[in-house]
Amino acid sequence: MTKTKPISHPFLLLLVLIAHAAMMILVALSFGITAEVVKLACIVLTADFIGSIILQFVQREACTVDTVLLLVIGMSTIYQSCFGGLEFALKHFAFGVGAFLMCQASYLVTRNPYRAERMKPLWYALFFGLVAAIRFLTGSRSMWIDLGFITIQPSEFVKPVFVLICASSIRTQLKKSSFLGIHFVPDNLLLIFCTGVIAVLQWWCRDLGSLPTFLAVAGFAFLLRFCYLREKISARLMVFLILCAVAAAVFAWKAAPAYVQERLHSDIWADMSGTGYQQVKALTAIAEGGWFGKGAGNGSLIHVAASRTDIVFSTICEEWGLFTGMMTVILVLFLPASILTVPPRSYYHSGLAVGVAAVFMVQMTLNIFGSCNLIPFTGVTIPFISQGGSSMLASGILAGFLKAAQAPVLTDRSTAKGGA
Amino acid sequence: MAGRQKKQQRPSAPQLDISAPRSTRRAGKWTALLLTCFILALIYLGYTLISKAPSYMAKSGKTTYGKVLDRDGDVLFDGSQPLTNYPPGQFADIGNLIGDTSGQMSNTIVAKHLEELANYSFTYGNEAGDATIHTTLSHRANKTVYNAFGDKNGAAIAYNWKTGEILVCVSRPCVDIAQGYADLESMPSGSLLCKAFFPTVPGSTQKVSTLIAAYEAAGVTGVNALEYTCEGSWVNPNGDAINCHQAYGHGTQNLQQAFENSCNPYFAQLVQSGIAPLSSIIGTYTRMGYAVNGQKADAMDLDGITINPASTKLSDLNNFETEWGALGQGKTLVSPYQLMLWQGAIANGTGSAVRPYLVKSRTTPTGENVELAVQRQTPQMFSAQAAQAVREVETLNSTHHYYVSFDVYSCGCKSGTAQVNDGGREYENSLLAGFCLDDRAPVAFCILIEERQSWDITTAQLARILLDAVSGIS
Amino acid sequence: MDLTPLFEQYPFLREAATAFVVIFVDICALVILLAAGRERRRGDRGWAQEGRGYMLACEGTLYPLGAAEILIGRHPSADIRFPDTEVSRFHALLCLSGGKWQIEDIGAQNGVLVNGRRITKPCTLHQNDAIQIGKHRMTVVKGTGKGVVA
Repeated sequence: MTKTKPISHPFLLLLVLIAHAAMMILVALSFGITAEVVKLACIVLTADFIGSIILQFVQREACTVDTVLLLVIGMSTIYQSCFGGLEFALKHFAFGVGAFLMCQASYLVTRNPYRAERMKPLWYALFFGLVAAIRFLTGSRSMWIDLGFITIQPSEFVKPVFVLICASSIRTQLKKSSFLGIHFVPDNLLLIFCTGVIAVLQWWCRDLGSLPTFLAVAGFAFLLRFCYLREKISARLMVFLILCAVAAAVFAWKAAPAYVQERLHSDIWADMSGTGYQQVKALTAIAEGGWFGKGAGNGSLIHVAASRTDIVFSTICEEWGLFTGMMTVILVLFLPASILTVPPRSYYHSGLAVGVAAVFMVQMTLNIFGSCNLIPFTGVTIPFISQGGSSMLASGILAGFLKAAQAPVLTDRSTAKGGA
Repeated sequence: MAGRQKKQQRPSAPQLDISAPRSTRRAGKWTALLLTCFILALIYLGYTLISKAPSYMAKSGKTTYGKVLDRDGDVLFDGSQPLTNYPPGQFADIGNLIGDTSGQMSNTIVAKHLEELANYSFTYGNEAGDATIHTTLSHRANKTVYNAFGDKNGAAIAYNWKTGEILVCVSRPCVDIAQGYADLESMPSGSLLCKAFFPTVPGSTQKVSTLIAAYEAAGVTGVNALEYTCEGSWVNPNGDAINCHQAYGHGTQNLQQAFENSCNPYFAQLVQSGIAPLSSIIGTYTRMGYAVNGQKADAMDLDGITINPASTKLSDLNNFETEWGALGQGKTLVSPYQLMLWQGAIANGTGSAVRPYLVKSRTTPTGENVELAVQRQTPQMFSAQAAQAVREVETLNSTHHYYVSFDVYSCGCKSGTAQVNDGGREYENSLLAGFCLDDRAPVAFCILIEERQSWDITTAQLARILLDAVSGIS
Repeated sequence: MDLTPLFEQYPFLREAATAFVVIFVDICALVILLAAGRERRRGDRGWAQEGRGYMLACEGTLYPLGAAEILIGRHPSADIRFPDTEVSRFHALLCLSGGKWQIEDIGAQNGVLVNGRRITKPCTLHQNDAIQIGKHRMTVVKGTGKGVVA
């Protein structure tokens, strides 16, 4: 593939630098120019610089994803360092760097759709390996594996693997098997099985927060496959599917365990110190923040549990204002939106892109709208913004898929040999 | 090359088209759909957060509160400074109506308008300025009426039946919000609620409703011509006696006379006669807002304050309980507010009252004035003919019996004595519901004096004080 | 250096500075969005080179080859669709790999003919190659523009 002139990287990276520098000015306005502020500024700006050099000389394709990633990771490092007082969030920053590298790594693995598709047995193996790890290694239904020095949450890593499973090429969809006169696509059958496995596992773990994410990814995967292999979805089938979805939702609503029921029906303002505590604090904090916030480090939400993860949107809004909070969310949306500008050029990549969009958007929906009491509150993270290593790295991997969809490499060893 | 087709010779190579096929375009479509939904939801979230922010701040107590003012700018509540800064007795008459932010009372103006009272705006935060709620109440008139009760308990409520503004709303005993709730136990019962909004035994004021029901069913002339004899007591077909307060009886009377005499046997016979069938009475009562026989009637709402609807039980016209209920005793309960509302619909002669309101407008913390009052009519409760006929009957009643009290005002009214059995303790309440047609004080009112003794102030005297107090307020 | 005294003296200064910087950050973020337009042109050029600028010309219609896999058949969701019975529902698959377009018969009843010869294994396509699917004859043509090197 001949290299084309990439768009002006230095220009974009200059913008990232300027944005971060402007944020650091805001931090300096709050804390004064102290050693800690200078340290934070140096680290973030240097990381931008190094990142831009890597992108300029090593990896020149699909710079939108990388630029947004640099911008968002830097921003979230600044946010996380300033919550309730300045302390450089080393761990968060390190995982941010990790996520950036993961993005490049997963790009390299998946940029060739033919190869990524051929590696599907590996993805299935990884999937079942992770599921087994959750089932047998996590302590008492908690989803966490404690390795002593670090705890990892394998369920986060299931997400990118599941997205890899969900994507599929036309060639795979055309491979049909027949059993007892019923024709079926083995890959579809396997996907249904995997979806069932993950649903049962989440139920068993009492961690229904991530279930919508998986269901959304699987749902969109089937939507893409259905549209392809069936005739166009007829109105009747659509109504049937919608009715099924509604019935499933009603069933889930009724059959949900007691602690979920409690969350579905509780009025947070009636129990401000009990079940509604986090949301009441979160909403009040947004109200206190107003448009432009109380200033970095001046928030009080940090004393509330999960202020850096589940209600991080409110924590940002309190210190930086609703305007910036919304902007940050929209910035993260730039990642899945990037495929609207450069359309994916293979069926497998388009499946990956929709899967990533579903993961990102469902997670953000659950987190933001949940903490703002528009939907039941669940403990999920905002990609790249919330604290949490596993989530950060998994999101990095997902961003790599998007990059792969932007800059694919289309060489297939197996078919190249068969040329006439 | 062998077998190559006849080349489609083109003068020049075609313009390259590299648009993605629909199989991959579908990904973009779904992503765009997801993004659109998310952005729309985000916009909705932003709107919700901004519009509800004052409520969040108010509910979590993170903001100060502004003032509630009466129609002349007198302070009824002030959340920005200790209420003890005000002269003693400033809030003594309106405590259980206006309320405060202590959370002790939930059905008050302040409790229902915490959000509007919060000195907070999303743009300016807590330093925004003073939020103010402007009410239609006349604090001066209210105090006058409150003091006129002397040592009696009760309630008085009056509103301008032309505009809907509530001018006076008193409920005794009343908590003085400036004194706090330290001696909550020793406070007389009923201090924390406004009795004007709570259903009570209406006594003979119920005869207005019964009369309306009769007019609705049998027409004005038909009912006015009815004559029944009162011999001090009347035994219904089931053998139950309904006594008259006049032990020797009123003799044979027409409707006007019976109304003025407030004659129980007459009205009992009117009900029993079936001139108004049971279903018709129930229909009229339901339109007037009664919850008949345990059916649900909509609770009324006065600027967020909930008012429980009137209720009664009507089973069989020969039944004592039904007849007794139609006379305003037994199972019948009506709030003074609702009695006043019906008087408003009678006074304007249409059968549909102007809806009363208490909150006129508010000033946001940023200084913006927002009109909250909307002048609206109630649904048609009874016909205009019935309203005008009752107005005639009530006006004559007033001219004949309350001339001394009302004097210069052209009024109509109906008094009532309610026998209350409050957990075994029996006493009589005195009520008066009426209206004034004068332009000086175009008000409909209802007055309730609990356990009134013969030497106490009468409801009519209190009504006169009320009329004088609100006279000239426009 | 502590800026607090300055802000205490001029309280509006902090608000104004905050608002300015926040809006500035947001504008920076938005400019990146604008850059995506250029990214798109770059992507198009990249694809034009990758796919050699090939298109399929068939009976006066030009079919773009805009993805790595192009399904030809009678099925309504095929990328290049011929709604007549001589064409199988899933007839042929065009596949781009290593800068070469290949056509493959995916179980078509009437087969795929390239330059008059029925193919049994994937066949690499060149400019001006003729493909016959059912009664439809297509020619591989090369478009110009969008950075295609002739």
